[in-house]
Amino acid sequence: MKGAFRMKEDRKVIHILIVMSVLFLSLVVYLTYFELFVKDRIITNSYNQRQWEAEEDTIRGRILDKNGIVLADSPKTEDGWKRTYPHGSLYSHVIGYNSRTYGKSMLEASYNDYLLGSERGIFDFGNRDESGMRYGDDVYLTLDHELQKLASQLLGDRNGAVVAMNPKTGEILALVSKPAFDPNEDKLSANWQAMVESEDAIFLPRATQGLYTPGSTYKTVISAGALENGMEDLVIEDKGTVTIDGKPFSNTGKKAYGKIDMKKALAVSSNVFFSQVGVELGENVLRSLADRFGLGKDIPFEIPVTKSRFPYDSMGKTDMASVAIGQGKLQVTPLHMAMITSCIANNGVMMKPYMVSRVVSHDGDEIKVTEPSVLYNVMSTQTAGAIKLMMREVVKSGTGKSAAIEGVNVAGKTGSAENELTAEGEAKNHAWFISFAPVENPKIAVAVILEYSGTTGGGSAAPIARELMKAYLKK
Amino acid sequence: MLIASYKRPVSLVVLADILAFGLLFFYREPHDFYILGAGLLIITLIAGTYLFIVKKELGDEYLFLIVSMLASVGFIMIYRLNRGLGFKQIVWFSGGIVLFFLSYFIYIRIKIWNKLMYAYAFASFGLFLVTLVFGSNIKGSTNWIVIKGFSFQPSELIKILFIFTLACYLTHSEQIFLNALTLKLKQIKIKGRIALMAIVYMFMGFLVMQRDWGTALLFFIIYITMMYVFDADMKFLLLNVIIAALGGTAGYFALYHIRVRVVTWLNPWADIAGKGYQITQSLFAIGSGGFFGTGLGMGRPDYIPEVTTDFIFSAICEEMGIFGGVAVILLYFLLAYRGIKIVLKTGDTFKKAVALGITCMFGFQTFIIIGGVIKLIPLTGITLPFISYGGSSLTTSFIQLGILEAVSREGGQDEGSISDEGR
Amino acid sequence: MYEILSSIMKYIFITIIYLFIYGIIRLIYLDISSMGAKGKHGMKKGKNLPYIKLINRREDLGFKVEETYTLDGNMELGRSNKNDIVIKDPYVSGKHVRFTVHDGRTSMQDLNSTNGSFVNGERLGRDPVYLRDGDKIHIGQMDFLYVEN
Repeated sequence: MKGAFRMKEDRKVIHILIVMSVLFLSLVVYLTYFELFVKDRIITNSYNQRQWEAEEDTIRGRILDKNGIVLADSPKTEDGWKRTYPHGSLYSHVIGYNSRTYGKSMLEASYNDYLLGSERGIFDFGNRDESGMRYGDDVYLTLDHELQKLASQLLGDRNGAVVAMNPKTGEILALVSKPAFDPNEDKLSANWQAMVESEDAIFLPRATQGLYTPGSTYKTVISAGALENGMEDLVIEDKGTVTIDGKPFSNTGKKAYGKIDMKKALAVSSNVFFSQVGVELGENVLRSLADRFGLGKDIPFEIPVTKSRFPYDSMGKTDMASVAIGQGKLQVTPLHMAMITSCIANNGVMMKPYMVSRVVSHDGDEIKVTEPSVLYNVMSTQTAGAIKLMMREVVKSGTGKSAAIEGVNVAGKTGSAENELTAEGEAKNHAWFISFAPVENPKIAVAVILEYSGTTGGGSAAPIARELMKAYLKK
Repeated sequence: MLIASYKRPVSLVVLADILAFGLLFFYREPHDFYILGAGLLIITLIAGTYLFIVKKELGDEYLFLIVSMLASVGFIMIYRLNRGLGFKQIVWFSGGIVLFFLSYFIYIRIKIWNKLMYAYAFASFGLFLVTLVFGSNIKGSTNWIVIKGFSFQPSELIKILFIFTLACYLTHSEQIFLNALTLKLKQIKIKGRIALMAIVYMFMGFLVMQRDWGTALLFFIIYITMMYVFDADMKFLLLNVIIAALGGTAGYFALYHIRVRVVTWLNPWADIAGKGYQITQSLFAIGSGGFFGTGLGMGRPDYIPEVTTDFIFSAICEEMGIFGGVAVILLYFLLAYRGIKIVLKTGDTFKKAVALGITCMFGFQTFIIIGGVIKLIPLTGITLPFISYGGSSLTTSFIQLGILEAVSREGGQDEGSISDEGR
Repeated sequence: MYEILSSIMKYIFITIIYLFIYGIIRLIYLDISSMGAKGKHGMKKGKNLPYIKLINRREDLGFKVEETYTLDGNMELGRSNKNDIVIKDPYVSGKHVRFTVHDGRTSMQDLNSTNGSFVNGERLGRDPVYLRDGDKIHIGQMDFLYVEN
C-alpha cells in the first residue's frame, strides 16, 4: 500500500520538475531573444550612460557630403570636443542631433557605432591623436550640399519636403524637410520646450515620415496597370465629370476635354479618365499594383521611414475610383514618391535608396562602402518607357509646363492631395510635383510636396523641381 | 599535481576561482593582496568541504558542487562591484558552510521534526510580529530587523519554518485540528486543512503588510505546489488559486504599489527616469554585454541600482555575457534537478515534503528574480540564492542546503536496488 | 593591460563554466546508468532472483545497510570484508550465515554465529533450512523478509 501511495506522489513531483524546466527554459529563450532582437533598439537610449562612456574617450567622427563638405563636426574645446553642425537646421532631419540630454536621432543614432569607431574592434591601435584619444570614423554621404542648400532656399518658409535622388543608383542627392530646427546643443536646449509643444510638428521629418495622399501623381502608377492590362488604346469621352456609384468624380474646375486617350489624360490630369480606369482595373489589380510599387512594405534606409499605406480590406467602386486618382485612404511619403519616380525613370527597376556612400577611418581606411542594389523589379522596360513618354507630355503640353528647362527633356506629373482642410476649399490641398530629367538618360529624379499650398502643384511645386534639376544638370 | 578537467568538476571550480581571484588582484589599484588571501581561503574551503562530503558519504555530492560554482560567481562579481561587500560576502560564505554542516548534523540527530508543527507556526508568528513592531523599512520593504548595525531579514528564516510547517501538516493531516474556544455548548473542531489555509494566508498577509510581494508570491507557490503533490484534492487547489487570483486582482486595483509594478513591467520606457529607472538600467546592462560579455571589470554595471542584491544577475550578463547568464540559469536548474531527484528517492513523507519545499524554494525564487530583472515578469525584491549579496539570504540558503543534504543521505529507497519491483 | 587580460579571461571563464556544467551532467548520467546496470545485473539470465528485504528502518540502525540483497548462487553474510554481503552490525559475527540458491530454491545456513540466526522466530541449528516466500529472518539487529521471485 505504501509503495502505491508513493508512486502517485512521485508522478506529481515529476510534473513539478517539468514545470520548473519550462520556467527555466523560458528564461533562457527570452534572454536569447532579447539579445538577438531587442537590445539594439534600446541601448542607444540616451539614459544608457554607457553610450556616453564611449564618447568620453573618442573624438566623434565627422559627417560630410559627397564632396567632403563637413556637415557635422567635433572641433576641440578645452575639455574635449563639442558636436557642431555648421549648417544649422539644414540637415536636422537627416543627420539629427547628438545630445546628452535629448539623446541621439537620425544618422547620429543609426551610425553611432561607426562614429565612435567601435566597428574597428579593440585591437586597432591607430587612429589616435597626440593625447591618446581615439578618432571615430568619418561618414561620407551621397548628399550634395549645394543641392540641399538650394532645395531649402526654394522651399522657403513653406512647410513640405523635397527629395532628389539618382534613379539609376538609388543615391539620395538632397533630402529636405520643413519646418526644421537647429540641432546644435545650445539652440536645442533653448528651444526644446517650444518646439515640442509647437503645432507645426517641427520634429517630424516630413520627407521620410510624413504621410500624404499622393493625389494625381499616383496616376503614373495607375497608368502602369492600365498599360499592362491592354488599355493602351483606351479612349474616353471626358465631359468634365462622371458619376460612379452615385459619387461624382470631376476634373479641376469641372473642365471637359472631349475624347481623350491615356497620354492626353495624364497630361491634363483627367480625373474622369482615370477614375473609370480604376474601376475597370478592379480591386485585385489595384492592390497588386500598390504592392509591387512597395506600398505597405518597409523601406530600407539609414534613418527611419514610415511605411506607405494601402489600407483597404475590400474596395467598392468609389474606392477604386478614388485610389486611381490618388485620393481616398492612400498615403505615401515624399521619399517613396521619389522612389516611384526613379523607378519609372530607371526602366521599371526600383533601386534601394541610400544616403551613406562610405565610412572612412581617420587614418584613411575604408571601413564600409555602400553599393547600389535593386529593391524591386516593378515593371517591364516597355511599360516604363510608355509612362516616361506620357510624363514628358505633361511637361511639354500639360499641367507641368512650369517645370520645363530649355534644352533638356523633362518629364513630370503634378498632384493635388486632399487633406483635412480640403473642405474649406481646394486652395488648401497639398501640392505635389514629381519629375526626372533628362528623359532619354535620367540623371536626377525629384519629388516635391508643399503643404496646404493650392490646387495644381504645377504652379507652386514644379518650379522648385525645375530649379533643382537645372542646377544639378549644369554640373 | 591537480589536473583540472571536466571529469572532476570540483577542479574546475577551483581553477575558475584561481583565475578569477588572480584577475581581481590586478583589478584595483593598488593591487589588493587581501583578495589573494581570500581566494586561497575560498579554494581551501570549497575543495575541503567537497572532499569531506564525498569521503564521508554524507549524501548527494552535486548539491554543494553546484552551489560552490554559483557562490564563486557571486562573490567574484560582488568584489568587483564593491570591495567591502565582497569581503563580507566571503565571510558570510564561510559562515554559511559552517551552518551547512551544523544544519546537516542537527537535522540528522533530532528525530521529532515532524511533530513540531505548532512550534514552527508560533515561531513564525512571533518573528512576524517582532518585524512588524520593531522592523525597519529598508528600500521599500519593512522586513528588516537592525541590531547594532547588523541587519537581517526574519522572513528568510520564516521560509524554512514555513516549509516545515507544511511538511508537518502533510505528514499527518488527519491529526491536526484546532480546538476553538469552547463556547459553552460545544467544542468546534476546525478541519486541519482550513487551519492550514488560515496559517498560510496569515503568513502571506504579514508579508504583504511588509510590502514583500516577492516572498508572498513565493510562499503561495510553495504552498500550492506542496498541496498539489501531497494532498490531491483538485477542488481545494482550485479554490486556493481562485482566492489568490481574486486577492491579486484586488491588490492590483486597491494598492498603488502593485499597480506601479505591473505598469512599469509593461512599459518602463514611459518613465525611464522615475519608476522605470531600475529595470531600464538593468536592460541596458544586459544588452551591453553581447554573448561573451564585456569582460570582468570592463562594463558599467555600477549604473544599475541595487546591483549587488536584486540586480546581480544583470551585472553578470553585462560582464560575463549572455552565455554567462545562461550558464548560471543552467546551474540553478541542475540544482533543482538534483533536489527533485532527492525528493523522488526519499520514502518518508515528511522528508519528501521538506526536500520538495526546499527544492521549490530555490527553483521558484530563482525564476522569479531572474524573470524580474530581464523583464519577463514584473520585478520583485527577492534575492538570487547564493549569489546575491546578503547575510540573511546566504546563511538561510546554506541551512536549507544542509537540510536537503541530510535528507539525501539515506533515502527510503536505495538507488542500487530493485526493491519495489516484482511487487 | 588589465583590459587585455580581462578580455581574454572572459572566454576562458565561459569555457570553464560550461565544462563544469558538462562535467556535472556527465557524472549524473554515469550514476544513473550504473544504477541501471546494477539493476540489470540483479536480473541476469532473465530470471527473477530471490532477495531479502530489510524490514527495520535504516536510520534506526547505526550502521550502513542496504534495503535489499539479491541472492544468487552461494552468498555469505557477515561482518568481515571477505563476505559477499558485508554488514558492520556489532551483533553480527565475522561469518554469520550462508545463503545458497539452487534449482529455484534458497537455503540458509547459520555458520556458528555467536548470536544465532532466526527464521520466523526459531533459532537455526547447524543444518541448512529451506526458505519460503514470506519468511521472516532475524540476523544481528536486523529483520529481513525473504522474497522469492
